[in-house]
Amino acid sequence: MNPLELTLGIMTAVGGFVDISELVFAAKAGSQFGYALIWVFALSTIGIIVFSEMSGRVAAVAKQPVFNLMRHRLGLKLGLVTLAASIVSNLITCAAEIGGVSLILNYLTGAPYALMAVAMTAILVISIWVLPFQWIERVYGLLGLFMIVFAAALVAIHPPWSQIAGGFVPQVPAGLSTKELLTFAYFAVAIISAVMFPYEVYFYSSGGIEEGWGPKDMLTNRLTSILGMALGSLLAISILANSAQLFGPVNVDPEIPGSAALEAAIPFGKWGLILALLGMLFAVAGAAVETCMANAYSIAQFFGWVWGRHKKPWEAPRFTIAWLILFMLALAIVLTGVDVMMLVEFAVLFSILVLPLTYLPLLLLAEDKKYMRQYANGPVAKTLGWIYFAIITAAAIAAVPLFMLTSGGNG
Amino acid sequence: MYKAVILILTFLSACSSGPPADLQYIKQARSIAAEWALINNQAKADNLTSTYVVSMHQSLRENLQTAFDSLSDKHSSYGEQMNALLAERADAAPAELRARAEALKRIEDDLESA
Amino acid sequence: MRLDSPIKLVSELVDLPLLDTEGKYCGIVDDIELSGRPGQDLELKALLVGPGAYEGRMPAWLMWLIKKVAGDRVTRVTMDEVQTISSVVHLKRTGGELGLHTSETEAGRWIPHKGAL
Repeated sequence: MNPLELTLGIMTAVGGFVDISELVFAAKAGSQFGYALIWVFALSTIGIIVFSEMSGRVAAVAKQPVFNLMRHRLGLKLGLVTLAASIVSNLITCAAEIGGVSLILNYLTGAPYALMAVAMTAILVISIWVLPFQWIERVYGLLGLFMIVFAAALVAIHPPWSQIAGGFVPQVPAGLSTKELLTFAYFAVAIISAVMFPYEVYFYSSGGIEEGWGPKDMLTNRLTSILGMALGSLLAISILANSAQLFGPVNVDPEIPGSAALEAAIPFGKWGLILALLGMLFAVAGAAVETCMANAYSIAQFFGWVWGRHKKPWEAPRFTIAWLILFMLALAIVLTGVDVMMLVEFAVLFSILVLPLTYLPLLLLAEDKKYMRQYANGPVAKTLGWIYFAIITAAAIAAVPLFMLTSGGNG
Repeated sequence: MYKAVILILTFLSACSSGPPADLQYIKQARSIAAEWALINNQAKADNLTSTYVVSMHQSLRENLQTAFDSLSDKHSSYGEQMNALLAERADAAPAELRARAEALKRIEDDLESA
Repeated sequence: MRLDSPIKLVSELVDLPLLDTEGKYCGIVDDIELSGRPGQDLELKALLVGPGAYEGRMPAWLMWLIKKVAGDRVTRVTMDEVQTISSVVHLKRTGGELGLHTSETEAGRWIPHKGAL
């Protein structure tokens, strides 16, 4: 297997895991609750691996991406509701990513936020227009690997490894007040939702078809989803653990994206800071590309348009117009001046509602031997799939009340 | 029935003013002060670029202003702490900023245990 | 599946994507046309593709909105144009020949043909 084939998984994972919401969420989780939420990241990672692998397998065997199945399984009306919710969720997330990238560019260059938002959107549009799909995923995926500086920083600060290991065991910290317990629950639910964002699965399954995957690529699919998501999870957990060690003891609850970069600056100085900011820049930019493309894929697949970046933009005109308009809408949201973190909170909430509707048709199709033949879900995939479906449904029900009771995790 | 709902909501909104309602903003201000101290400390150790420091100062100040503007009681002890923090120079001494963070933390802890 | 074998209209046909002989997506089976009378065999005559085919599947207010945004075009694909039905509907001709690429062609006029690698 060509190692570069892993780049789809890396881009999906790095852009999915360490987007703007994870940068702040993971850091906040670490500063507020120490290592106690690591197990939620680990649990969610297994979930996204299960569903990514399933969506890649369906794409490779049934030659259909997730949103084609969505409409077929749910029907037109419910499918439209899911599509609309998904578009809103992904659009808000894309706006948050563009806002996040603009902030990071401001930290790097000092240039005005609004100007960077316009410039960055232009760069993203040009890169998607010019580059074929494989190069889009390679550029953003591989450059996002600068994020490894956070893992290196964790090693450099000599954390209590036994406590970090202990964080992988499911737990609720002892001695929490009711409010703190609710906040802990909110963080757990938000992490599950953010890690298993639907746009990751839409992008991954469509990417599998863009790559021309077939039944011969089962191993590639499995390795890509496992290694890619595991890498993303490792980076997110590094950010959490760094925060627990560096921010928690000094009463810092990071609220702005730039705070995470301090985790690399403290052990490594200016070079650590710059590498962290560059990693964040490409990871969040990758997430902006993923969310926009995921939306365009969803719309095109739902209505049966020609789609894909394996085609030239003029060979899939409605799909091209869709992602151009989506980028413009996301930029317009950013230029209203709305706070980036507020966008993130609402994106997470909207996504929670879409999660069960996204994963149910995928589960049903992956089990269907008529389409999947000998590649249908085995007992392990089936069991894990339904367990995680129950988990995300519970998270969907709990999320809005927890958000309101905890003022969005602010206590 | 609608009148009852409106009455309940009005009652609840009246209840959510003063220190309990301001708790989230006190926490934010405490965190901002602590992070500001951390940044100035790291800047003194030459671990940060000047561009990053200026941008972070700006972001933190904006968030602090938003939190202060959201207070229901700006003349309270925590309101005055936050106002004093807003008046600090960007390159204020880390020790001074940490002292402000600790003062806000004490208020926060008192409110949470009440 | 064979075209003369029984088919479940909802779970095996409606809302499936259509793929032409060039491997291009050309819409979704938005509705179907049946022929027959009470007491007689029901025969599947054609697939209906386009926003106009949502009529009957959508509430009136939503259909009004859809017509405003996307129009009410319907393209009729008779069953003799269908090759096979599996997870997609494979057609016997190109989408252009069947009138299924009209919107795509119109949209293509707005896209410059340059710059992509």
